[in-house]
Amino acid sequence: MSVARRTFIQLGAGATVGILFTPTVWKALDDVSIWTQNWPWIPKLKYGAVEAKPTVSKMCESGCAVKVRTVAGEAFGTMGNVDNPLSGGGICPLCANGVQVKNSPNRIKAPMLDGQEISWEKAQEVVAEKLAAAGSKVAVISGDQTGTVNEVFSALLNDKGSDAFYVMPCDMQAADKAWTGLMGGAGQVGYDLEGADLVLLAGADALESWGPTVANLKSFAANESGKFIFAGPMQTKTASVTSKWVPVPAEGMAAFTLGLAYYVLQAGKTVGAADFDLFRSMVMSEYSPAKVEAATGVKADQMAALAKQLLTASNPVVVPAGPVAAHGAAFALNLLLGGAMKALPEFAKAIPSAMSRSEMLRADILDGVNTDLLFVYEANPAYALPEKIKAGFTVAFDMVQTETTATANLVLPSLHPYERFDDLASPYGLAAATYSLGVPVSKPSVNAANAATFILGLADLGFETFEEVLGAKVDAIGADMDALQGGEAFVVEGETPVAASLAANVLGKAAVPVKGTGAVGLVPYTLLSVGTANRATTPNAPCTISNNQLVGDHMVVMMGSATAKQLGVSVGSMVKLSGGKGECEALVQIFEGVMPGVVAAPLGLGHTVGDEFSKGKGDNVYKILTVSSEAAAGASTWAGSTVNVAKI
Amino acid sequence: MSHFKEFKIKWGMVIDIDKCTGCGACMVGCQVENNIAPMTKSDPYNYVQALTKPRDDASNKLRTLTWMNVYELSNGKSFPEHETAYLPRPCMQCGNPACVPVCPVVATDKNEEGGIVSQIYPRCIGCRYCMAACPYHARYFNWWDPLWPEGMDKGLSPSTSVRPRGVVEKCNFCHSRYLEAKDKARLDGEDPMNLPEGAYTTACADICPTKAITFGDLNNPEHKVHELIQSPNAFRLLEKLGLHPQVYYMSEREWVRKQGDNYNAEAGGHH
Repeated sequence: MSVARRTFIQLGAGATVGILFTPTVWKALDDVSIWTQNWPWIPKLKYGAVEAKPTVSKMCESGCAVKVRTVAGEAFGTMGNVDNPLSGGGICPLCANGVQVKNSPNRIKAPMLDGQEISWEKAQEVVAEKLAAAGSKVAVISGDQTGTVNEVFSALLNDKGSDAFYVMPCDMQAADKAWTGLMGGAGQVGYDLEGADLVLLAGADALESWGPTVANLKSFAANESGKFIFAGPMQTKTASVTSKWVPVPAEGMAAFTLGLAYYVLQAGKTVGAADFDLFRSMVMSEYSPAKVEAATGVKADQMAALAKQLLTASNPVVVPAGPVAAHGAAFALNLLLGGAMKALPEFAKAIPSAMSRSEMLRADILDGVNTDLLFVYEANPAYALPEKIKAGFTVAFDMVQTETTATANLVLPSLHPYERFDDLASPYGLAAATYSLGVPVSKPSVNAANAATFILGLADLGFETFEEVLGAKVDAIGADMDALQGGEAFVVEGETPVAASLAANVLGKAAVPVKGTGAVGLVPYTLLSVGTANRATTPNAPCTISNNQLVGDHMVVMMGSATAKQLGVSVGSMVKLSGGKGECEALVQIFEGVMPGVVAAPLGLGHTVGDEFSKGKGDNVYKILTVSSEAAAGASTWAGSTVNVAKI
Repeated sequence: MSHFKEFKIKWGMVIDIDKCTGCGACMVGCQVENNIAPMTKSDPYNYVQALTKPRDDASNKLRTLTWMNVYELSNGKSFPEHETAYLPRPCMQCGNPACVPVCPVVATDKNEEGGIVSQIYPRCIGCRYCMAACPYHARYFNWWDPLWPEGMDKGLSPSTSVRPRGVVEKCNFCHSRYLEAKDKARLDGEDPMNLPEGAYTTACADICPTKAITFGDLNNPEHKVHELIQSPNAFRLLEKLGLHPQVYYMSEREWVRKQGDNYNAEAGGHH
């Protein structure tokens, strides 16, 4: 049969018209569209009752008061807890990703002895045996700055006749060494950032990573009439919102603060401390504006203007960070000014034989740890302190795999903060002693256990479970358990600080800048989106890390154009930084908010163990930090680290 | 010709740049709320991964999915005169959106009460004309299937469907929260078209520790945003283009305001 051309065209036109008018094609296209958006590997949502349950999150160092959002009992998100003064509704970027860390494949799923999965009972036997053999050669490194879990660990140490309790290097430790150690003060120092009319952040990156960050941010937002000034070697995120940035090298912060004290003393300010006269003569002779300018590079007229602002403020406060000497100098200045520094009472202990917080902060981990049996609780010293720790047998408690769990003999999975009982007692920096409670709001995802309950099974400390310890703690401090479980905080106002001494003898020697011998100064800085010494980048955070920290898998260091010219590098140059006992590779970025002669590098990158969101990203700046001794203050510090920079 | 359309309710945001520290909490909160998958290099469902190119992870900022993005601004001066600021950037929900008229399949529109620019994912054919049209770079192409590493898909928010590869995504002012707030108002016997301050807010505004982000109905005098946008320090990004964004910014710093308008504020603006 032949088909005439006319017939063919008629059929074709008919078919076209038919296609246009039949819904079949459009329906099919619509179905294809929907079908291809519902591939079986695209996750489906879970529906059910949505709730918000209060608890605490301990991803960041101070901890955040949060509400965990659940759907049909499964946690899916984290929000701030407006009922708790630590939060005000906000949370930090680390804690905001708490649920994602809880569900991460990086969670440790069961106890592991030398890489082999074992039962909790077997783990208990192994640790009991090691504990018996170690005698008093037992030590603890805790990554928790605020928890009563530390009481359990320190009570175990006491039971074994050891006082080797270590915390990772932190400002709370330097503050305590200065305040209770050198100056004879009592309690924990706090800063009323909301009530102050002038806040000088002397190195404290308080609106990004220092202290109780979220509470600081909340105070900053609430304090509309107050003025915030940031002093430090780099224009940090904190500096970006303060009214002024005063460039001061990190190792010169103590001298700079005493330079301000010079003017304050000159204005006739006094304080009732035994060595006030000695302090006055020491500052007036050793920290005159000209001498401080020569030592730190900060202009005398700039210090004079700043001191004038402090003197005219009705409620000023200086917030220090870094070495013990910088803390001591700031505390002395605050005492002279009589402003918004507070002394917080310590909450009563739940376990009588446990150390006080001040006792827990006494040992200096930068001096090194050498022990037969080491317990590491949610800390990562193998990443941040690789050269410092030596132990015959290491037991590491953590939620997720880290460099420390990878090298530990026994790894014990701890419950995630949303799965366990926990607490936050007076995060360092708050103006009032504040206690918040954490309760389980989600079922455990893995075969984990509460680390403190495990420890209580090893010795007779008077409690069977950590929940009982927390009950005793709440009773001891006189708080209401129901209110705490409802997400409220128990708050005791801070007091006017009183010191026996201004540590004149020590500060006179310790405040002199000590700098390494490298070509340029190193400014390590912490961003919570990148992580902390204990916690790596969380799953949703990598896209928040800017090109000033990470490009591809390469770390980025920032420096001013003058420094780049001096080093012969430019934007995008690949460089090797050598310092301490290691080396780092990085790309160069020009950022004029870094002091000349200084290179700024982000802490927290360069993990070799962990999940795909943190592992292999950038390089580890802890490797190139140099520990120097604050001999007069009896402490060690990373301030004053320097590096050599070579183009590669 | 302007396509500006007025709405009785106009949800909007005022972002105080002088309070934003660029911490990134808003970005994380947005991703969690809206089920934006953390970008992974490997695809657990691709059993021939070895034969295919690895996926981009979040290190590749050209292919990240961040409905809320935070930009760093610099005054361009040298040390010690240098200043920096941070600018969070959600979708501007323009009154006269550039993205809407260019969409060939009507997958994006601004007809909903509240003035939110919607994106209908099943209609989107991924041509990306809207991305090219948006001067704020607020639209994102989903280059990769949204895959969560094993176990992490348990933590999905019930609010927002997961979008597949090949569609354009954008911030919708957490629209599901608007629907929930209206439902709640109806259940409580209140007027869903007159929600009080705070009844509906976005995840980024909720989570921001400095409360730099304020959210509300720009047309409602009882909402704080209504007052904030009257401030002489308030401005909108690229105002001159005449897109009428519903996101306002505030800064006391003149250089920030100037950069917000690409230094064109004094060039006559849009008429």
